[in-house]
Amino acid sequence: MENPIQTVMEKVKTWARVNSPWAIHFNSGSCNGCDIEILATLTPRFDVERFGIKLQGSPRHADVLICTGPVTLQARDRLVRIYEQMPEPKFVIAVGSCGISGGVFEGCYNVVGDISEVIPVNVYVPGCPPRPEAIIHGVVELLKSLQN
Amino acid sequence: MDNKKIETFVVPIGPQHPALKEPGHFEFTVDGEIVTDATARLGFVHRGMEKGVEDRTWVQGLYLMERVCGICSHVHAMAFALGAEKLANVQAPPRAQAIRELVGELERIHSHMLWLGVAAHEGGFDTLFMLSWRDRETVMDLLELVSGNRVNYSANVLGGVKIDISAAQKDEILKGMDFLEERSRHYMKVVTEDETFLGRTRKIGVMAYEDARVLGAIGPTARASGVARDVRVESPYAGYVDFPVNIQLSDAGDLEARFVVRINELFESYRVIREILEKLPPGDLAARMPRRIPEGETISRVEAPRGELLYFMKSNGTDKPERIKVRTPSLCNWASVLQTAIGHKLADMPMILAGIDPCFSCNDRMVTIKTPANPDVWDWETLRQFGIEYYK
Amino acid sequence: MDTQELLQKAEELLREFTETTNQPEENRLDVYMAVENIKPAVKALLIDGKWGYLSAITAMDCPDYEIDETTKEKVAVAGKGHLEALYHFCEGAAVVSLRFKLPYDNPHLETICDIIPSASFFEREAMELVGIIFDNTPITARLILPDSWPEGVYPLRKTFKGLDKETKGE
Repeated sequence: MENPIQTVMEKVKTWARVNSPWAIHFNSGSCNGCDIEILATLTPRFDVERFGIKLQGSPRHADVLICTGPVTLQARDRLVRIYEQMPEPKFVIAVGSCGISGGVFEGCYNVVGDISEVIPVNVYVPGCPPRPEAIIHGVVELLKSLQN
Repeated sequence: MDNKKIETFVVPIGPQHPALKEPGHFEFTVDGEIVTDATARLGFVHRGMEKGVEDRTWVQGLYLMERVCGICSHVHAMAFALGAEKLANVQAPPRAQAIRELVGELERIHSHMLWLGVAAHEGGFDTLFMLSWRDRETVMDLLELVSGNRVNYSANVLGGVKIDISAAQKDEILKGMDFLEERSRHYMKVVTEDETFLGRTRKIGVMAYEDARVLGAIGPTARASGVARDVRVESPYAGYVDFPVNIQLSDAGDLEARFVVRINELFESYRVIREILEKLPPGDLAARMPRRIPEGETISRVEAPRGELLYFMKSNGTDKPERIKVRTPSLCNWASVLQTAIGHKLADMPMILAGIDPCFSCNDRMVTIKTPANPDVWDWETLRQFGIEYYK
Repeated sequence: MDTQELLQKAEELLREFTETTNQPEENRLDVYMAVENIKPAVKALLIDGKWGYLSAITAMDCPDYEIDETTKEKVAVAGKGHLEALYHFCEGAAVVSLRFKLPYDNPHLETICDIIPSASFFEREAMELVGIIFDNTPITARLILPDSWPEGVYPLRKTFKGLDKETKGE
């Protein structure tokens, strides 16, 4: 019997290879734990690019923004600017607990916290940091929703 | 006001993705090919933690300080815990101190390998980047095996550790050390024999011994210039008293030396991890810590992968700290290396910056280049390619 | 030289500039000095004596505290107390801290950047977060706090309780 998850993954892979979404990454003030795990998704063990998503490019050509961190006051304007430079349709994945609530930094004087207070967020990937598999899962969930 | 700084243009450096276009964090003033001044603008990762920790209990503070940096979270937590224990006059038991060292050395391995890949990428050696990060997964698996997490392993508690090493875990770690040691021999070969690599690193970015000494260079950067600074050796803490490490030095002071020193530190980490596993002391994992820590001041110094990490800690008799000052090694490294960058070629900047082993969350890597001539906006990929093309 | 000998050597090198000393831990020496002695002391220790390196500068707010009548909590009394700058020099396991008490209304210290250029980062951080002023420091551009941060607001002062929502831009 075919594994249902495999079926979904295959469909997503096909869609993604056809549509090739471009993603950019932005660190809004994270400790880098999430960023390193995002980077790990590019490496052979996890290989996120087999899902057709390419992690590179400028905001002007990007479909997806992968954002980490609790949005420091200094990073906030830049985050908004990057989001504004992206063409429609555009989507945001917030990776890590910081982007949900501020994580451990909630209440600190130089952070905003929840990324959606600054730009709209489509997918949250919780964790401190989330594993590369969880990050890829978040990416796949977004791609699945784009298929519809 | 220096009138050479006429035009400013932005050269953003993101992490490995050349996609970030940000205004300057680091400023290089350039005259022709040569860098004549260098400074920095940080702050994109400034969260306000030193203030935040004053509002949290000592226990909560541990979890906060762990997240100063996701690459070296264990040394931060360890420095904090060791300092709190000194203030409370509590001794963590020997087994705990040994496990602290074990996790600290596993962390050093992951960090050095991460850096090796990143530095290779900056110089255009992407195969080495992919290989070292693939191999690095071995130590990530080991960290997850013993702590339950790949990053932010949370091994420390105030008074000791909360994780233990079983016989099965010991076997896995030993196997991992064997594999990584063999791979490290390969990296050493590449780094010391590959012509293209040496073209970017040998005799480049030299920091003289006396400069390193006075400018306060620390960590592998200092040791690569012959300055024998290593907190594990000079001021042993946690398990390093019983399981000492040998300091790795070079006197070349160039970028190649910084690579060689870090790879030699990997070999030393493999060695001492095996020793700890062989002779892990029996006993408790933690001693009891009071909730309120008596008034006092202490300085806690540990050797993070990037160099000396210093915590100045002041307690006020309550369950919350009065002042925690964190001086990360990257701040010292930026300061000493930026000073050294002066007089070097712009084309060498990507490798010199990478040679610091910058911890992004200590400082994002953004660059402004000020030149009398060109008002073009460079992106990081351009700067990186400039360096690669220059040396073709 | 062992740690005690290192500390003794440092104490001798700094003797003419010292007001009081204290040995708070086995490997540490605190040396309290008058503000005007900062540069000659650093020169004597680091350059002439070749003792150690500057590892960090800690800036602290040391206000007087009082117990609030209603909340029974300790609160800082605005304007009473002092600021303090600590220059930590390390050699081996020995740590010597040059300590300067600074009044709130005159928190000035001469820069040491002409002796140790890399001290610029430490001085800039202390200026922004605690409000100590380092005279003649070469770079005063913002280092750590955001461009939008209001002037004259020092987040590590005990009286600072966070930006109000408006200033934070929420």
